[in-house]
Amino acid sequence: MMRVQIRVQVFRRAVVCAVLLLAGCASGPGGGIYVPAGERPQAPKPPLTDGAANPADEQQVWRKSDQPAEGQTQQQTAVPGYRESGDQMPAAAAGLVKEADALMAQGEGAAAITRLERAQRIAPRSAAVYFKLSEVYVMTGQFGSAEQFTLKGLSLAGRDERLQRSGWLLLADIRRARGNVAGAQQAESRAASL
Amino acid sequence: MKNTDKTRKPGRKKPAPRKKPVYAQSRRKGFWRLLLRLILLGLVLLAGWMVYLDALVTSRFEGRRFEVPSRVYARPLELYSGAPVSAAALEQELGLAGFHKGDGSRSGSYQRSGGRFLISSRGFDFPDGKEPRRHLALSIAGDQVQNLKVVKGPDSAIVRLEPAQIGGIYPAHQEDRILVQLDKLPELLPAALMAVEDRSFYDHHGIAPLSIARAMLANIRAGGIVQGGSTLTQQLVKNFFLTREQTLLRKGNEALMSILLELHYSKSDILETYLNEVYLGQAGTRSIHGFGLASQFYFAEALEDLLPHQLALLVGMVKGPSYYNPRRHPQRATARRNLVLDQMQQAGLLGEADAQRARSLPLGVSDKASFSQNRYPAYIDLVRRHLARDYKEEDLRSEGLRVFTTLNPAMQMAAEKAVTETLPRLGDKALESALVVTAKDSGEVLALVGGRDPRYAGFNRALDASRQIGSLVKPFVYLAALSQPQRYTLITPLQDTRFTLKFENGTVWEPKNYDGLERGEVPLHQALSKSYNLPVVRVGLNIGLAEVKSTLQAFGTSSAISDYPSMLLGAVAMTPVNVAQIYQGLATSGFNTPLRTIREVTDAGGVPLSRYSLQVNQVADPAAVHLLQYAMQETMQEGTGRSAYNTVPRALALAGKTGTTDDGRDAWFAGFSGDLLAVVWVGRDDNGATSLTGATGALPVWSKFMAQVPQNSFTPVVPDGVQYHWVNVQQQALTDEQCENARLMPFITGSEPAQTITCAGALPQKIRGWFEGLFQ
Repeated sequence: MMRVQIRVQVFRRAVVCAVLLLAGCASGPGGGIYVPAGERPQAPKPPLTDGAANPADEQQVWRKSDQPAEGQTQQQTAVPGYRESGDQMPAAAAGLVKEADALMAQGEGAAAITRLERAQRIAPRSAAVYFKLSEVYVMTGQFGSAEQFTLKGLSLAGRDERLQRSGWLLLADIRRARGNVAGAQQAESRAASL
Repeated sequence: MKNTDKTRKPGRKKPAPRKKPVYAQSRRKGFWRLLLRLILLGLVLLAGWMVYLDALVTSRFEGRRFEVPSRVYARPLELYSGAPVSAAALEQELGLAGFHKGDGSRSGSYQRSGGRFLISSRGFDFPDGKEPRRHLALSIAGDQVQNLKVVKGPDSAIVRLEPAQIGGIYPAHQEDRILVQLDKLPELLPAALMAVEDRSFYDHHGIAPLSIARAMLANIRAGGIVQGGSTLTQQLVKNFFLTREQTLLRKGNEALMSILLELHYSKSDILETYLNEVYLGQAGTRSIHGFGLASQFYFAEALEDLLPHQLALLVGMVKGPSYYNPRRHPQRATARRNLVLDQMQQAGLLGEADAQRARSLPLGVSDKASFSQNRYPAYIDLVRRHLARDYKEEDLRSEGLRVFTTLNPAMQMAAEKAVTETLPRLGDKALESALVVTAKDSGEVLALVGGRDPRYAGFNRALDASRQIGSLVKPFVYLAALSQPQRYTLITPLQDTRFTLKFENGTVWEPKNYDGLERGEVPLHQALSKSYNLPVVRVGLNIGLAEVKSTLQAFGTSSAISDYPSMLLGAVAMTPVNVAQIYQGLATSGFNTPLRTIREVTDAGGVPLSRYSLQVNQVADPAAVHLLQYAMQETMQEGTGRSAYNTVPRALALAGKTGTTDDGRDAWFAGFSGDLLAVVWVGRDDNGATSLTGATGALPVWSKFMAQVPQNSFTPVVPDGVQYHWVNVQQQALTDEQCENARLMPFITGSEPAQTITCAGALPQKIRGWFEGLFQ
């Protein structure tokens, strides 16, 4: 158990470094996926259908049914999108994470959580914020929550190997602390395979 | 009785003088004895009466001192470089939080020119610490905050504005107040109050005959009533028992109770209670009690920020809050205020120059009362239900709790507009609607509309209309399937052909597509994006109803789910808020995030009582959810949700699902962007048929909402264990990017097609393009 705690400490530090590194190179939110508000003018040509070149026809089709008639070929102008990694933290969120760090150092877990939840609202797709939340929950002994936030962070780490590794190692420590040795080993081997 | 006496008196003859009989002496003795007894009885009665009055006045004093409604706040707007907010929304937010247009340097004012803002914040005691006063400069371009600078005050890259108060949870008698403490008030206020209402407050014992005389003198001198004779203590007592009758008995009771009050409590206790109790106006059905609330109500300012001319107005209004109502009778109010300023000057509270300047100022009253009745009844309803889990109703009504919610006023406004402007266009006047908006990754409920009239505090459809969800269930069926990658992938061909199910009891079920057609084989992704019925039932029966049921339950369904296959087509009743809850997990790669309306609750003094933290709980494999999200994006681009882009900017990537129940009784749309999840229901309260579908009834409301809010596109991060491949869907094979019919699709690693085909029969597109170019 002692060893586990020490290791959690070690990885906590590792993750802090990762977070700060990220914060250092943070740029604006969204990585170019931000779209200002704006209603399209009424009744434009429907973007993705092509069977009904006439907007009126199109209107009629979707008024009759929410299942467009078969045979309309898709002339694609857009396809389902994805990306390889989550957002980096904007400076404002990174500042809050720094405050949370200082609070954690003073043992102020609850106060650190409020800072991190503010940061999470600003950067909800940043893996680092969730790892940080996980660390606070480790500190306060709430390993269940810690594990969940680590998993959430991992779901946003994408192809960023450093984040992936930090996450899997953090998860391994948490699982071991919870007595889930098999789960811990699985997480460790994931980290090792990166 | 009196009349009989009167009528009898004139007729009574004066008795003739006669000798006193012997028994006269004993009669006189008897009279004195009787009198003594009567006096004794009177004293006992009076003592009893005093005890009664004492109990009455002390219980009222103790009770009233602490009966304060809970205050409900919107989420504070966070300003930082890159914060997503439009200039119009920022201005609206400032207005709601009680800022007024001005020079941007006086506390609580702002100045806007185009996209540039100067804001002078007042500071606010948040549960997690104090946000200091600051002068800010910022500009807004492309619906984002840019160049945020703290001009004055502690520097910070992120600043929270004070939150708008969006409502309260009021005592049954509808009285409201903001408690003020004597030692935190501008000294001028109690001093002015005493100068005008009760000069000998610190010297009398509840009643002051001298004051009455002095007031009379002053009134004669002024040629009208400028001072009342009642002490502040008497006025406080009068306020406790608000009846207008002016009888001697009442006056006597008041005097007695005043003396009793003074016996029990210190002068400062009485003064503080007076400041919090005195009646100062009316807002609809709610009365405005106390200087704290009055300051907010008339000036939209904290009491400690008021200037002498504003304090003078409030002090002057004590005499007759409706007669001197500054919004209705500005001239009267000004005259009264100036009279108070004169008195303050006479009492030495203001120098001549200051008093003169104060008299020359306009009233300075805000245009509108800075709060009205609950503006967002549906939302507050949900807040109350969440609070009811941890708090007693009477505490909410009387303990002055501060409730910090997640409501986003700009989104709420957009949501209300989407409902109120779209519904009339749908034709049927009996149509109703509900809209729930949540922050995708935190589960915070940002906006809630409970009906076509968002101000109506009646039936809250977002919480209480439990309706069949129709095709909204399909993603869960396919998720259960995609979680078994060895059996199902996005390109697995499904049979879109009719079949009949016979149950043991002899009944027969024959599901149909919405349009009644059959299409033979369709790939799974298309079966979802086009919402075909026949394939989903086949898939659901294949993987088992129990599996689908447990998936729905894992995502947070609390509704009863039937064991009949019709549940695969959405014969499951849910409220819009329930639907938002289960879609949260689909929007966030399989993490259930409990919906929250409350971040924190503190007591009246700001001491935190409870916090409702962000929680996440993984309930599905992120890889399988990623596949499903692909098909839900396709719904918006090629499927049943594509008409959203008639309204929403093309650049905003979205994912979602339509839902329609039999005869158009319910039209649903549930979908999400990178930041927001929104669920819309449209239908009739009587569950009657309509001509609508999810796409024609609910989606227009949804799109109208989404189009008004700046936000991030939905571009999910590829999770561990998922790889994208170019495939030929029809051939069930990997293929080359250049090939015709090649489609880039995600697969759980290992489930991608084993075979590869080249662009059979056709030249690769690049080469073909080169040839075409050559021969054009």
